[in-house]
Amino acid sequence: MLSTQLIYGIAGIVLFVLSLRVAFSTELFLRQVLAINVAGAGLFLTLLSVAFKGLEQPADPIPQALVLTGIVVAFSATALALALGKKLAENSPDER
Amino acid sequence: MENLAWYILDAMLIIALIGLAWLTLTNHNLRQAIIFFIAFGLLLALVWFRLAAPDVALAEAAIGAGLSGALFLTSLSQQKQTNKKDDPLKTTSTKFFDSFQNQFLNLLFVILALVFSAAFVFALMEADPDRLSPTVLMNLEQTGVSNPVTGVLLDFRAYDTMLELAVLLSAALGIMALGPVKTHYYPSGDMLSSLSQWLVPILILFSGYILWAGAHSPGGAFQAGALLAAAGVVLNLTGDRQVKLPNYWLLRGLTIGGIAGFLIIGLLLMLSGRAFLDFPSQWSGTLILFIESFATLSISIILLIAFQSGEPQEWEHESKKLALKNTAGKTKIKGKTLC
Amino acid sequence: MNDSLIWLFAAPLLASLLSVLLPRKAVLICLFAVSITLISSLIVLSTVIESGAFYYALSGWQTGLAISLYVDGLSALMLVMTAIIATAISIYATAYFHNAEQQRFYWPLWMMLLCALNVLFIAADLFNLYVGLELLGLTAVALTAIDGKPEAIRAAIRYLVVGLLGSLAFLAGVSLVYTAYGTLDIAAISEQIQVNFYSGLIVTFITIGLIIKTALFPMHFWLPMAHANAPAVVSAALSALVIKVAFYLIIRLWLELFSDFNNVGISYLFSTLGALAILWGGWNALHAQRLKLLAAYSTIAQIGFLFMALGMILLLPDGEVRNTLIGGTVILAITHGFAKSALFLAAGIIQQHAGHDRINELSGTAQRLPITTFTLTLAGVALIGLPPSGAFLGKWYLISSVVAEGLWLWVAIILIGSLLSAAYIFRLLGHAFGRIERPKRLLAIGREEVPALLLALTATLLLAFTAAPLWSILENASGVYG
Repeated sequence: MLSTQLIYGIAGIVLFVLSLRVAFSTELFLRQVLAINVAGAGLFLTLLSVAFKGLEQPADPIPQALVLTGIVVAFSATALALALGKKLAENSPDER
Repeated sequence: MENLAWYILDAMLIIALIGLAWLTLTNHNLRQAIIFFIAFGLLLALVWFRLAAPDVALAEAAIGAGLSGALFLTSLSQQKQTNKKDDPLKTTSTKFFDSFQNQFLNLLFVILALVFSAAFVFALMEADPDRLSPTVLMNLEQTGVSNPVTGVLLDFRAYDTMLELAVLLSAALGIMALGPVKTHYYPSGDMLSSLSQWLVPILILFSGYILWAGAHSPGGAFQAGALLAAAGVVLNLTGDRQVKLPNYWLLRGLTIGGIAGFLIIGLLLMLSGRAFLDFPSQWSGTLILFIESFATLSISIILLIAFQSGEPQEWEHESKKLALKNTAGKTKIKGKTLC
Repeated sequence: MNDSLIWLFAAPLLASLLSVLLPRKAVLICLFAVSITLISSLIVLSTVIESGAFYYALSGWQTGLAISLYVDGLSALMLVMTAIIATAISIYATAYFHNAEQQRFYWPLWMMLLCALNVLFIAADLFNLYVGLELLGLTAVALTAIDGKPEAIRAAIRYLVVGLLGSLAFLAGVSLVYTAYGTLDIAAISEQIQVNFYSGLIVTFITIGLIIKTALFPMHFWLPMAHANAPAVVSAALSALVIKVAFYLIIRLWLELFSDFNNVGISYLFSTLGALAILWGGWNALHAQRLKLLAAYSTIAQIGFLFMALGMILLLPDGEVRNTLIGGTVILAITHGFAKSALFLAAGIIQQHAGHDRINELSGTAQRLPITTFTLTLAGVALIGLPPSGAFLGKWYLISSVVAEGLWLWVAIILIGSLLSAAYIFRLLGHAFGRIERPKRLLAIGREEVPALLLALTATLLLAFTAAPLWSILENASGVYG
């Protein structure tokens, strides 16, 4: 069980760092938003790996609640970001 | 032997996950990137399932993969509409290994990954593996629900959930402030129309079930709200002119209903001498279901507004708009029968 | 009395909901809610003065399982400051918008912003802080973009992306915290926290997240565009309150939860970054062509002063000098809140009258708006730190403790920074007082000018006299959350 936690936790960290790396190097807004989403997903993976207690016991509910909240918050931010991007593209069509 | 099977499964999941993330983030073609993102989200839902977190799996599939993906796709298509001269396949390439600056950044992030991983490993080794879980499970029956995640979200940490609904509402308000809905869909062909006639009622039914089931099995307000919103998205996509959101009062009322449920119940409890959101044990389950019902409707409307990415025409009074009214049989979604 | 704590966030939240439901009554509802917030904050302050800091366990469960709230002298002062400034801004806003169209989404979002601010000031749970910071960030971005102008949208996008990166850093810290310590309650964490490798990383992540949100150099680049291009009524809240709450969180965490991690390196880091912010902000403010841009750069410089003070606080050993400096920093922060909001509100009035806010062309407008010009002057005095403003007191204590430690470079930077402030303020006032014609009326738009004037008066005159009671209130703020 500990090993499962470790590999998923580190996988989450890899996702987090990878996405941040892309977020810092791209100029495309859409890709930045995608990267922020994947980075969040990475952190959620790390959190939930800590929650895992094997398949016989229920997983720790606190990280599950945190991640649920996080998913909704990430969606809200994404929706606002994309709407702003759309508005900018309408006003000045030469923007990306 | 059994452990080996799990290791292989885990290895495959993780490789696929990171691979999909890579394909999403480094893709030259944005449309492909978004589709990989949706696949990533669905695979992630599978991972949540493997990690014994089915509530999160449901939410991830519905919101993280489904609705987010839909959001990205419509955003991309709108971008293309305004940049007619850009070849949609040509995007800025991501160069990772060419310049010194990039290599330096790579090194920096690799160090970050190593440090973060090491910290994680040490923290995991030294920590008490139980954390808050036993405390939660011990006190769970006083919450009136038997699903611990629902108990945490709607009772122990209800304040955070209320604030999270506020975050959703704020995003929707911000989006609506930017302008009216601009994307309208053509009436769909036979396939989508007939599919939607089956799909939408099933989604509505499932939404109600998941809301109810959330008290004792995986599910809850967020998952149910997302399903309902998905029904709305499907109806939107069919381009049926007769489908509308609820009218002014009902629409605005339902939008604020989720937070209002939390606030009003919390304040009433406070004014009667208890702490804010301190549910009395015997009514706890009922109150939670009550709040969750309103939250489901709120969440679904807000998610739909976010998907439409603009102020719906039903948001303002009819008299303020120049839109022609539909005379023949208006149908409304959300709780009313389709005709 | 504990109920007042709840009304601090419940009133604005309820007002936001009702503003959505009944937009035509929105102004009335929001003004009422803001008054309730003001009264509640004063009740909370008096409770803290009488009986000291207190906790409130939400949802009725014991702390650790559920989320708790916490108020002490420091948070109570911040709450009162926020409530007063929010009241002034709200009154101003009733006259700011030209038509009902623009206001429709302003009031619900503004109330949400106020709710988020109060949530953050009373939070005692780490994930609660995260959600509160997200609410704050999204509402701030939405308000920045509310008038739909391309420059504002562009600034809002940058603000959002940078803010989200900050939140991710914060969340990374939170996930490590739960992994290592199994709890999210700050009091519980402070009992268990030890100085080791992973805890150091936790501290780093959370601090970086908050530094991004408080726009400390080098994470400051998003601020000038956002604060300069947002509507003035929004910029006032952004510069005075939104930035301040992130600084409050840094002070709170570093004085209590992270206090074991304090070392000379950290304090020098904060002070160096603060110094760079002072110089960069001051220099750019001097060259700013637009009034709101000047104000935005000035905010970066002022945050620099606050971080320099924090660095000094962390350097000093426990004792009288340190406590006095903490008091001085708080009064500096509060004064900046009043002064900067007054400045932005005045800039808004000028911009509405002249159609622009270019400093070089301000003369005629300033003559026609004598009260507003007076407000600008008072706010400027408070920003420079001239007596009798509260900022003077704060800077005095800062300089005296820096001198006592013999850190002459820092003294030089503080003085240069103050000189720069004086320079850009006097440049502004020089243009504003250019003589054209006689003023026709003393008060142009009462509901706009009076709140701005009162804020500036508070910054310049009142706050210095509140120093002594402030000190004693802050004494209730010693110790950790637990």
